[in-house]
Amino acid sequence: MAPPAQSQRSQSPSQPSGKGEVSDLKVQLRQLAGSRAPGTDDSKRELFKKVISYMTVGIDVSSLFSEMVMCSATSDIVLKKMCYLYVGNYAKGNPDLALLTINFLQKDCRDEDPMIRGLALRSLCSLRVENLVEYLVGPLGSGLQDHNSYVRMVAAIGVLKLYHISSSSCIDADFPSALKALMLNDPDAQVVANCLSALQEIWSLEASTSEEASREREALLSKPVIYYFLNRIKDFSEWAQCLVLDLVGKYVPSDSSEIFDIMNLLEDRLQHANGAVVLATIKVFLHLTLSMTDVHQQVYERIKAPLLTLVSSGSQELSYAVLSHLHLLVMRAPILFSSDYKHFYCQYNEPSYVKKLKLEMLTAVANESNTYEIVTELCEYVANIDVSIARESIHAVGKIALQQYDVNAIVDRLLQFLEMEKDYVTAETLVLVKDLLRKYPQWSHDCIAVVGNISSKNVQEPKAKAALIWMLGEYSLDMSDAPYILESLVENWEDEHSAEVRLHLLTAVLKCFLRRPPETQKALGAALAAGLADSHQDVHDRALFYYRLLQYNVSVAERVVNPPKQAVSVFADTQSSEIKDRIFDEFNSLSVLYQKVLSL
Amino acid sequence: MISQFFVLSQRGDNIVFRDYRGEVSKGSAEIFFRKVKFWKEDGEEEAPPVFNVDSVNYFHVKVAGLLFVATTRGNVSPSLVLELLQRIARVIKDYLGVLNEDSLRKNFVLVYELLDEVIDFGYVQTTSTEVLKSYVFNEPIMVDAARLPSLGAAAIFMQGTKKMPGTAVTKSVVANEPGGRKREEIFVDIIEKISVTFSSSGYILTSEIDGTIQMKSYLTGNPEIRLALNEDLSIGRGGRSIYDYTSSAGGGSVMLDDCNFHESVHLDSFDIDRTLNLVPPDGEFTVMNYRMTQEFRPPFRINALIEEAGPLKAEVILKIRADFSSTITANTVFVQMPVPAYTTRVSFELEPGAVGNTTDFKEANKRLEWGLKKIVGGSEHTLRAKLTFSQESHANITREAGPVSMTFTIPMYNASRLQVRYLQIAKKSKTYNPYRWVRYVTQANSYVARI
Repeated sequence: MAPPAQSQRSQSPSQPSGKGEVSDLKVQLRQLAGSRAPGTDDSKRELFKKVISYMTVGIDVSSLFSEMVMCSATSDIVLKKMCYLYVGNYAKGNPDLALLTINFLQKDCRDEDPMIRGLALRSLCSLRVENLVEYLVGPLGSGLQDHNSYVRMVAAIGVLKLYHISSSSCIDADFPSALKALMLNDPDAQVVANCLSALQEIWSLEASTSEEASREREALLSKPVIYYFLNRIKDFSEWAQCLVLDLVGKYVPSDSSEIFDIMNLLEDRLQHANGAVVLATIKVFLHLTLSMTDVHQQVYERIKAPLLTLVSSGSQELSYAVLSHLHLLVMRAPILFSSDYKHFYCQYNEPSYVKKLKLEMLTAVANESNTYEIVTELCEYVANIDVSIARESIHAVGKIALQQYDVNAIVDRLLQFLEMEKDYVTAETLVLVKDLLRKYPQWSHDCIAVVGNISSKNVQEPKAKAALIWMLGEYSLDMSDAPYILESLVENWEDEHSAEVRLHLLTAVLKCFLRRPPETQKALGAALAAGLADSHQDVHDRALFYYRLLQYNVSVAERVVNPPKQAVSVFADTQSSEIKDRIFDEFNSLSVLYQKVLSL
Repeated sequence: MISQFFVLSQRGDNIVFRDYRGEVSKGSAEIFFRKVKFWKEDGEEEAPPVFNVDSVNYFHVKVAGLLFVATTRGNVSPSLVLELLQRIARVIKDYLGVLNEDSLRKNFVLVYELLDEVIDFGYVQTTSTEVLKSYVFNEPIMVDAARLPSLGAAAIFMQGTKKMPGTAVTKSVVANEPGGRKREEIFVDIIEKISVTFSSSGYILTSEIDGTIQMKSYLTGNPEIRLALNEDLSIGRGGRSIYDYTSSAGGGSVMLDDCNFHESVHLDSFDIDRTLNLVPPDGEFTVMNYRMTQEFRPPFRINALIEEAGPLKAEVILKIRADFSSTITANTVFVQMPVPAYTTRVSFELEPGAVGNTTDFKEANKRLEWGLKKIVGGSEHTLRAKLTFSQESHANITREAGPVSMTFTIPMYNASRLQVRYLQIAKKSKTYNPYRWVRYVTQANSYVARI
């Protein structure tokens, strides 16, 4: 047999082709349809495989529908399955032809082999054709009562499929209450789990229009139902356990002893090798204890080790998902993780999205006792080949400096970065030094000495250039050649593409002028002239504003441009605490990875 | 719930594509592949395992050079989907013996059969190889395993250990040996990944062992198994009681920070005598994961030096010492070191008599590479490299080079000293004596020396 798509390998899957092959297949299928010769099933298998492989790569083989259905009269289960797969894929687009399949699917739903019954029922419900729903209700009803658990399992999900095709037929047939009865009584755990999945989806969608549905949805969170699930949690597969845990996470216990009972019952789930189970359990623990500060903190201590184990044991992808959750917890309660900082050190072979999370965590947990070690480690990353990580590391060092009281040593390190003479290191550092000076003006002397040595020619990035220019204006009294550096920058006005830099230049020149008028007068004149002629509206407006201000009264200009400044105590956080809380509410979801609130 | 599942080859071809809910357009595979291939966001080189394009969430894991992808519109648990993708790959491997593009293409109908039973309308039904056996009717078509580059954790046992039947680990759980009889055997692999960071003065800054005990069972009738670990094993930093703590300080004991276990493991006697009881399910699975930050002896010592040697010149000396028994041999050792960006030429000098060494200067990313096929315990190896620069270095040259990183595999060695004391299989009859393979291996995860 030719492996699928071998012949199409070089082609893009989106380009349907192979028209000739498809009509060949049609002829061959026709020949086999009525044949009862020995070996027919084997030849059919080969042909069916070809059809499925074309379907997989995106070639449209829907024209073979009637031939496929004709060939499906067989007892060969492999053939049947391929045929079901094909029919499920194309029925929606060919509702008339889909009708052809109803007959044999319904017959198979009554087969004596439970496997065939289950498969046929699953396919029947997967047709997604609205005018065929009348044929679904009967087989689904008997499927839910089948003595074989496989068939009931399929039927439970089948009800949900029916609901999506035609919600009214599903409700009219009273399937939700049948599911509910099954959920609370079936001996098979997977049947129970499927009923729960289906009911959660159906009732959530119905809740907006039906009060009964929203009551039923609430009832899923009632004490008896929750305990029914909790008491048999180990009967469920690890995936169904996640489903149950998710439900328990929404439950509100009546008192604290109930909370402890639930946590004791679920304690060993934290030792599960499946990270999905562990995270779902952690969510339950975190949410149950939200109002009990002490216990909540103990939960953090308890879940630390399992989380760290998951970060380092699974695949890289899973590790990232868990690390994102750990990141969320660290950001909420950095103090509780301050002694675990070594776990957040970056490894050289980690992808940059992992390193970024770790750098943020290192920044958050830095306190008086570990800052020295963390900053030393971060300085190692600055030499990293990965430029974006080097930048983030500098940023992290700067942020730690901004949140610490004893910044002495850190400022020294930052200034050392400037001596590395790597453009991107210099650029990133300049921006940070500017922020530091706004918070700790007392450091200006040390910083200015180093910044003064930087040639503005080596600074090209707009943000860094703007930072340098800001410092030249702000500390023009401390830097002897500030007016001349500014003057040369103004001379190159035309070559400066960034409006942000030009705006800063205007302000800096004016500040410098107000402090050292004779030396800056020429530069100011040139800057205002260039600003007035600037094509950028903001630059033009600011130049005009300064010009008129100076015309009106120089001392007012002084008050506007050079007012006495107060040190910035806290820089605004990029994310509000309300959003952070809402992301926390959605623990164990994509919201945590995207760091955005997704659910409504 | 999951909307679609598909597997893409490295070139982006659909090998299997299953749409479960019809909520996401069929073109999703192409959208996904383009996004991953040309990923460039926030300066990141590589697409994260989860991302969103036009309100469709794409999850992917890379296994054996293939992309296993799931899509959904819902705000689902990312760890659940990623675990699931990983598990689907493992189930497929259990069936096909070998998981790669070729085997998947040859067996795609079987894979569809599996996918139909694993997920229904986006909800996970089962990922148990054993349960799936009763639903799956296609016979796997075997690909020639010997020809293929080995992939996956178990593949590391193929070299260097003659005793191991090389094909056993690539055997399908459903296929029979020629002659119709199944060989009764069970594999227990203790795989440890170690991370060490040495400071420039050779002092250990951080170290960690991430271990896993993997099992692959081909026993019929699923007999119960007892797996005994070190008696003095303690779990949780600081021990559970003062007594634990003093006994572990004695030096001989193994102290794990934390561990977790497979669903099937019973821990009833674990606290008493450190034995795990389990009825192993068919196929490959992780019995236990563990993590250890207790001090251990690193298998290799790295000594790296870079010195200026006149204008526009410098010399690098790299020394590797194997700090383990001479009965053990490490293989596929690979050492890398970034050198100053203005390095233009490098000439290497190996010790006289060195065999199986390769050296290279990767001009594009300015890196020295040194490969050693084998390193016998107790031996020491040195590489000298002379660098030529295009410009004078004015900064501190050691800040422009390094760190040195190293990868290796050491079969029949484990740094944690965690051991399987015995592996007991419940006897069905007197003559029942299945083959048991207990194998150890240590690999470098992140093994770095700063200079």
